[in-house]
Amino acid sequence: MKLRYYILRRLLFVIPTLLGLTIIVFVLIHVQGTTNLIGSYINPRAGNIAGQEHAVIKLLHLNEPLPYQYLYWLWQILHGNWGYTHTGIYSGPVTNAILLFYPNSLVLAIISFILVTLISIPLGVWSAVRRNSLGDHLTRVASFIGYSMPIYWLGLLLILVFASNDVNPVLNILPISGTVSTTLISSASWYSRGISYPTHLLLLDALIHGRLDIFANALEHLVLPVATLTYGTLAGILRVTRSSMQDTLSQDYVRTARAKGLPESVVVKVHARRNALIPVTTLLGYTIASLLGGVVLIETVFNYIGLGYWTTQSFLSNDLGGVMGATVIFGLTFVFANLVVDVAYGFLDPRIRY
Amino acid sequence: MSSRLNELWLTLRIILENKSSAAGLIIVLAYVLIAIIDFVYPSLIGVHDAYALIPNFSDTVPSPPSPAHIFGTTFPGVDLYQAIMAAIRVDLWYSLLVVLGGMVIGTVVGVFAAYYGGYVDEALMRFTDIFLSIPYLPFAIAIAFFLGRELNNISIALTLVWWPLYARYARGQTLSVKENTYVEAARASGVGTPGILAQHIVPNVLTPIFVQISLDLGTVVQVFAGLVFIGFATGNTLLPELGTLISDGFQYAVTAPWTIFFPGMAILIFAIGMNLLGDGLRDALDPKRRT
Repeated sequence: MKLRYYILRRLLFVIPTLLGLTIIVFVLIHVQGTTNLIGSYINPRAGNIAGQEHAVIKLLHLNEPLPYQYLYWLWQILHGNWGYTHTGIYSGPVTNAILLFYPNSLVLAIISFILVTLISIPLGVWSAVRRNSLGDHLTRVASFIGYSMPIYWLGLLLILVFASNDVNPVLNILPISGTVSTTLISSASWYSRGISYPTHLLLLDALIHGRLDIFANALEHLVLPVATLTYGTLAGILRVTRSSMQDTLSQDYVRTARAKGLPESVVVKVHARRNALIPVTTLLGYTIASLLGGVVLIETVFNYIGLGYWTTQSFLSNDLGGVMGATVIFGLTFVFANLVVDVAYGFLDPRIRY
Repeated sequence: MSSRLNELWLTLRIILENKSSAAGLIIVLAYVLIAIIDFVYPSLIGVHDAYALIPNFSDTVPSPPSPAHIFGTTFPGVDLYQAIMAAIRVDLWYSLLVVLGGMVIGTVVGVFAAYYGGYVDEALMRFTDIFLSIPYLPFAIAIAFFLGRELNNISIALTLVWWPLYARYARGQTLSVKENTYVEAARASGVGTPGILAQHIVPNVLTPIFVQISLDLGTVVQVFAGLVFIGFATGNTLLPELGTLISDGFQYAVTAPWTIFFPGMAILIFAIGMNLLGDGLRDALDPKRRT
């Protein structure tokens, strides 16, 4: 199969997945009955609640059989009508909330993902090559603890270490909560209630408005959440890289390569590493899933205003629109991230194009 | 039966021969023992009430570890040692429900998919994939939201999120087991499908799934406590649960770090023990390493 057919096939496969995803969300909504669903489509500012209720029932065809309801609901979702969310941090259309909160979470997840890949794969390879050395043991212990540690607890411990102003003034160098210093941002007219304008990506907006001090401060606010998320996520890839590399190093063709006198660095880099990384790439999808889950916990712990923070807020304030919107957008992100990983995989590994 | 016992004995010996998996086994057994004692005779380990935290409203501010309270106290005047000991039962129980529920659903789906193959396989596995299309934590949050904020519902939510992984393992395992000559021999000698499934397929599929469970249980405990931590246990503030204890302690943590340190350690140590044991079990049950 040629590469473009593989990519096309993979693209087509997204359609049933997305249908499945929306069916699950639809079924979940209907477990509760339709009262809350109607509520989530009512704009409290527009008044005439009874009239709006009536309009929603008509819009979503709530008096027809469930399969029809699903199609009409899906039609609204496809047209960007996701209802309203009401939480302490934002009240308004769900799609707006996603536009506002998504960018900051994306930055958090992407930086962590890059760091996870950059640290765990080389370290795993190194650890397997230096098997049973002190460095290997330390790496294994560190990754084992990272794997076993509740990520939100690690975040809390870091907050304690860096917040204990009286106990340890030396370590009081990093901000422990929020996305930016409130005193610094209060002078900016393009920032209000945790959200920056026009791109809603604080780092970018700070640059657009020429505020390097806010940019630097926002970066500082990213350090602890990113560090926590990275450490909590990298252990899985590290373990698989190490064991896969170890298996590969004991293969016959590696022994042959050594026997014919190739330098060890060539054996490791050319013969072993490339093959050892194949099972690792299949794990990237899982890593993305745990990163996205980690975002929810980490944003809550660090009061980092983003998609995850909004998800927990909607959850706690019984806001159906928010929970539904967050679930769909997390699912979409995951499906498309996996798509990108698979297509990249197709480019890297010729065997995939059977 | 004696051959099964021998197998079990051999597995146990391999686990005990390895220092780290032996340590894992001891940690896990200690936790299980604590949970059982909580259930039958809590005062044996100094727990006065295994089902509710005992507040002390005359002194609600957390006090540091002392001979009277070896782990200190947390808000509102709760003895942290007793709270953690009681919480271990709750967290272990609900997490066990998650992996066992996931195992049952996953095994049934996976075995049927692989055994019948064709359209059945395709349909069941696509159904499974749909559940894997949402990251597990937001998905569990959504399920629990729609079912209602209760501990039982967190278990149900996590089970619904976890079973697809077991379905995949069970399917893969069944595909290789069903090609064995002993399955063919059984079929040739007239054993029906239910008999083949029950006697030859399922027992051989369950072993690797048990290994997977032991590797997962540590993670499930973390995630379960995490969901409670972000605000599930709103109805019952006196619930002994490790995630609740961490979030209760959080507001005092800067001046009273022990309030979050000890409950977190309880989760960390259990997860470490479970992962060590899981790694050991995987090695012990690997036919290549058994002699």
